[in-house]
Amino acid sequence: MIDDLGIKDAFASITGQAMLKALLVIVIASLVTVAIQKVLPRIAHKLGGRPRLYLLASVPLLRLVIILATVMIVVPILVEPSFQNMVAIFGALALALGFAFKDYANSLIAGIVTLYEMPYRPGDWIEVDGQYGEVRAINTRAAEIVTPDDTVVIIPHNKLWNSLIANGNDGTDNLMCVADFHLEANHDVGKVRDLLRDIAFTSPRTKTWHPVSVIVFNKPWGMHYRLKAYPFNPREQFQFISELTARGSAELARQGVKFVSVPVAVD
Amino acid sequence: MKDNANENTIDPCLPGGLMPADQWTLPETSVRRSLKDAIRHALMQLQAGVSQAEESFENMDQLPELSTAQQRRLAPEPDYSHQALAIACALECARSEGSLSREVICLVAPPFSGLQQALAHFSEPFRSDNRENSVDALRVISPPDTLLLDDQAAREWWDNQDLSRPWVIPELADFWLRCLSGLALVKELFRRIANGDAGAGIVGSSSWCWQYWGHYIENAHMSPWTTAPMNSERLGVWFSHLAAGGSKSSITAKMTDNGLYVLPLVEPEEVPSGKDSNEHKESNKRKYSTFLRDLSATSRGNPGVALAIWQRSLRARPDEDARLDDADQKSQAQNLNADCWVVPLNRLSLPLMPQSKESVTGFVLHGLLLHNGLDAPSLESVTGVSAHELSMVLSRLKRAELVAFDQACQCWRVTAIGYPTARRHLQSWGFPVDQF
Repeated sequence: MIDDLGIKDAFASITGQAMLKALLVIVIASLVTVAIQKVLPRIAHKLGGRPRLYLLASVPLLRLVIILATVMIVVPILVEPSFQNMVAIFGALALALGFAFKDYANSLIAGIVTLYEMPYRPGDWIEVDGQYGEVRAINTRAAEIVTPDDTVVIIPHNKLWNSLIANGNDGTDNLMCVADFHLEANHDVGKVRDLLRDIAFTSPRTKTWHPVSVIVFNKPWGMHYRLKAYPFNPREQFQFISELTARGSAELARQGVKFVSVPVAVD
Repeated sequence: MKDNANENTIDPCLPGGLMPADQWTLPETSVRRSLKDAIRHALMQLQAGVSQAEESFENMDQLPELSTAQQRRLAPEPDYSHQALAIACALECARSEGSLSREVICLVAPPFSGLQQALAHFSEPFRSDNRENSVDALRVISPPDTLLLDDQAAREWWDNQDLSRPWVIPELADFWLRCLSGLALVKELFRRIANGDAGAGIVGSSSWCWQYWGHYIENAHMSPWTTAPMNSERLGVWFSHLAAGGSKSSITAKMTDNGLYVLPLVEPEEVPSGKDSNEHKESNKRKYSTFLRDLSATSRGNPGVALAIWQRSLRARPDEDARLDDADQKSQAQNLNADCWVVPLNRLSLPLMPQSKESVTGFVLHGLLLHNGLDAPSLESVTGVSAHELSMVLSRLKRAELVAFDQACQCWRVTAIGYPTARRHLQSWGFPVDQF
């Protein structure tokens, strides 16, 4: 079968020197990739703001460029780059991947699509299959996210085909946070809305140039308020929500507005 | 106004005059300079973890700095009463032209522009020999002792203010604190202005405070006015005016590296009366440095920041030091061409941001700029930073010369020389910054 595909002919010209050359190119490419993966995120974390996000997003893209460049350099070193040889090698590769590493290949292709469509980038806050966290790295096969509890979750790229991916900030540093307040009925709704808006505006973490809004729902058990605002740093989202909740609760209590005191099922 | 209409009659106290805030533009700079600044800023952020500079300002040349007396004579602090008169005349002029018709005028300017100090002089009647106009004194409204009021108390406080005759608020930032019970006074003021219940007045505001309230009060549309940005020409006019100190003497300043002229400015085309045509030709042959253009870009057209950097950049030659000191002791009215030397901007080290937790440092600097200076307890309440951590951050920022304690009002303020660094870092950390 190998003869039929012309693989034997294609690899007939490989010499020891060519192998060494190819190995050297692969080692150099690997070192450059590792360096990029280590150095760029460190620089990005020092810069902060938008430059941080741009620099983080460039890491997987640069890695893809290096991989493609390596393949383009290594293949002509090993085999004569004729049409027949190329068809033979890539045909065999496709066959092997198709049979043996179907899921792996699926993830690799999804990884390439990820770099093109960018449903998530390093620095984004995403939720996939109930797992929420910050994208730390986009590797060839899978993405790594770090949850708020400092747990690393590996998400294969092929989730892209059939899972819902929620992205909180989508490549920017604007991430909306929501603080919920479940209050008993019979209070001045307008006053409470104004008060909650002031709570957000007086937080030093709030991006005041983005909208601050207070939404209220009438529920059978009382009133459900949602205070929505943007923190200046997405990484501070949990401190931000905690601060809004704590200060809002204290002020509502001072105003005599009571929280619902029985367990309720909230949809 | 003056900016567009009559550039030839530049008032040296307020070069460029007043203009609507939405027409304000950043002074132009070269692409080379912008790129250099951006790269320098990025490198400074990267180096923050490597080196911990304690010294904020470093003299990187061998020339002696000016003595305090020399500095007071060559680059003194401005007389804000003159600036107040210039502002009053500019407002009067805008009213007569019909470009300003509101009862309550909002004047917004970045920190260190001198607007607050100038508006504080509106409590005195202006009269000047050089000007046709004279302006009546306005009632200065000062903030109450405590700013933590509820809506009812704020209404009562404003009810007790006499708004029936023209009034002025030199600095709106003194009327609020960024905490839940610290907003009532400004909310009530804006409500009265919007309803037309505030009479005729002037509200002066720091650009940072204005930016906050612009977001808080949606659809306010107060159409604020501002002072024109200090471009290189205006800076030259202003520095010459400050050095002259009311006399007709002129200052000659040259660069230390290449001897190019910074001041006096190039003469206009027509030969001025009383000047020899040879002298005029000679002045036009001078080669000028780009220092003032670079300075206007570095300071973002902010006069107070530009003056602080200008004061730091002036040098005297050792042999001229004694001569200048002698001159100081003589009468200031004497017509003396006081030469001084100017260090290039790239040889001046402006304050660096110390390495620390971004968010806490940012909260402190942002809080100080929003309120135009605060005492430690108020700063603690608006930033949510504990007293212990706050004192450490303030002491680090003080060592870096980014903040200073103002003994007069017992509060902490961002320094003029540290303002460009503070603003740039706040912007890159994602904090809301002013438009100027």
